[in-house]
Amino acid sequence: MQVSTNQFYNSANAMMTSLTSQADKLQSQISTGKRLQAPSDDVVAYQQLQLIARANADDSSYAATITTAKALLDQGDTTLTTITAQVQRAQELAIKANNETLSANDRQSISAELRGIVQTLAQLANTQDARGNALFAGSQGGAPVTVNADGTVTINDTGQPAAIPIADSQSVVATETASDVFGGILDGASGTTDLFSVLTTFADALDTDASPVAASSTASDALKSALDNVANSQASLGARSARLTMLSSAMTDAGVARETQRSALEDTDVTTAITELQKTMTILQATQASFTKLSSLSLFDYLK
Amino acid sequence: MSDLLNIGASGIRAYQNAISTVSENIANSGVEGYSKRSTNLSEVAASTTTITRREVTAASGVITTGIARSGDPIKEAAVRSSASDLASSDSAIQWLDRIQSALTNNKLGDQLTGFFNSANAVAADPSATAPRITMLDAAEGAASAFTATGTALAGIADSLDLSAQDSVSTFNGLAAALAKVNDGLSRNVPGTNGSAQLLDQRDQLLEQMSAIANVAVTADDVGRVTVRVGGATGPVIVQGNDSGSLSYARGNDGAVAYQVHFGGNIYAAAISGGALAGIADGAQRLAEAQQQIAQVATGFVDGVNQVQAAGVDLDGNPGAPMFAAGASATDISVVLASPRGIAAAAPGGGPLDNANLVGLATLRRTGAFEGEVGQVTTDTASALAAKQTIADAQATIHDNAVADRDSVSGVSLDTEAVDLLKFQQAYSASSRVIQAARDIFQSILEIR
Repeated sequence: MQVSTNQFYNSANAMMTSLTSQADKLQSQISTGKRLQAPSDDVVAYQQLQLIARANADDSSYAATITTAKALLDQGDTTLTTITAQVQRAQELAIKANNETLSANDRQSISAELRGIVQTLAQLANTQDARGNALFAGSQGGAPVTVNADGTVTINDTGQPAAIPIADSQSVVATETASDVFGGILDGASGTTDLFSVLTTFADALDTDASPVAASSTASDALKSALDNVANSQASLGARSARLTMLSSAMTDAGVARETQRSALEDTDVTTAITELQKTMTILQATQASFTKLSSLSLFDYLK
Repeated sequence: MSDLLNIGASGIRAYQNAISTVSENIANSGVEGYSKRSTNLSEVAASTTTITRREVTAASGVITTGIARSGDPIKEAAVRSSASDLASSDSAIQWLDRIQSALTNNKLGDQLTGFFNSANAVAADPSATAPRITMLDAAEGAASAFTATGTALAGIADSLDLSAQDSVSTFNGLAAALAKVNDGLSRNVPGTNGSAQLLDQRDQLLEQMSAIANVAVTADDVGRVTVRVGGATGPVIVQGNDSGSLSYARGNDGAVAYQVHFGGNIYAAAISGGALAGIADGAQRLAEAQQQIAQVATGFVDGVNQVQAAGVDLDGNPGAPMFAAGASATDISVVLASPRGIAAAAPGGGPLDNANLVGLATLRRTGAFEGEVGQVTTDTASALAAKQTIADAQATIHDNAVADRDSVSGVSLDTEAVDLLKFQQAYSASSRVIQAARDIFQSILEIR
């Protein structure tokens, strides 16, 4: 086959152009560290990378909500520990008051301490969380308990606390309501009462009743039930916190696994790419050299 | 002796022609579309003719019978058809690549993910302003990503139209030029330099035309061509001295229609090769992408607004719409002005409630907007990848067809050098013949 002069130059040009563009592609793969420059480079990998990127974005958003939820749970736990201490002190006082021989002064000093505990508990019930809301409020917000002018305390939270999303279709209620923590104490056959009225009634009884034994024993029972309530709440918060810890460590593991997968799909294998680039450059140099040699060959050079 | 002189003179004339043809070949060796020419020489024979036979009695020199052009119609046709195929894929690749960039550059999927995730932060702290502001910003981001994607796709549609109009008018210009070449061929004597030049032009015009649209070509004895658009059964666009024109129209559904106007009639042309076929492919994919993105946009806007309407905002009022679509489905703007307006709470839920935001998570799952956007992108990307693979093969086929044709019609300088040497020597020898004739005649005159 005869090779026309034009064709010789055209094909040499095409070969060198294609080698240069191949080298350029490898060069950009090495410098960006990415094997895929456009979705069409590898459609299947692109699809998987999209899913990985979305999962990463989701997890970083959930990581933030988990942090918030965990902070709330921890704060709830600390507050409940303080509340427990107060209730235990009230229990001690109830045992102390369960004594026929107490003087009026003794009874009054006990009742004064009890009223102090009521105020402390009311303050604890209105504790603010990191978000600036009352920790034990329901969905309506506002102060969950109100201290009335006569020293009694009313629980007035309404609604359930909002569940915080922590993963796809998973959420956690990170706080308890004041009604959960302080209410729900069995009060004979008449139904339930709350810790504040138990303590206030007990203090009132100590102030007025010369023989506080009956009142003390009623109060002891109620306080035991209240302590159980608080302990239950605390245990529940602890369980939720443990669940979050597990979830976030699972998320970290999944994130690492995704990163490995992403890297395998998307990252340039630098060793292979550099070897490939070296090979391409060697071929290009050889092509250039042979082109120069061949193009300098002309019969006209010998016609003198 | 006069015979000898004539023979020598005829040789000089003939080899002058031959050398000038070789020079022409050398001079045009770098010209695209030039076909190698050669001088046809034949012997001039003086003859005595009887009724039954013609007898050659004495030789009387050489004569140039014509300029032959090395061209192979079958190889030319192979180059044309491979050029049509390659141009079709190349132009489709160009448009698909632009659609792919429009779909990925604005990060629409990422913005949607960001929007849905920003709702989680609001759910974690429903009464705080900062997460709400962040969510409105994310909404702004999603809206502008939709708008930018829509605008980019519409921009591609505009430049697709422009490019198609451009190609069509170039094609029409080539058809008109081809009709002129046909006219020239009917006036020119075959086997002359002029006719060879016209044939070169004709083949180049045809090659350029087939890069735009696939054409079927038939030639008559003098080389005049009849050209049909879109294959052997397509409508005629060039016949003799007449040429028609091609027109382009794109419907709203993305379907592209080509028509040939010839001799006062209009015929539909089914173009399956050349850049115009690639444009039709691109238009089709573009319309699908536009339609799918618009569908995602509408679903997203309606879905989010429905979730808003189902809840109450931070002030306990029913949620107002967050997004509104403008002139087109993708022309989305955020109409919710205040971050307090995000309806996180279910009706009656209070400022710390986030029950309504579960609706957004549900919408994200059922609407699968991010997945839809990804799907549109991967559809385009796989079409593009397939075209690229095909184009690689077609480029090889085209290169081979060109090499095959050029091995017949291309100029090789080495061959020309040999020819030049050969004809130069024949020329010198012919002039020696003239000198010999003169010497012989002289010696006769010198007889005493």
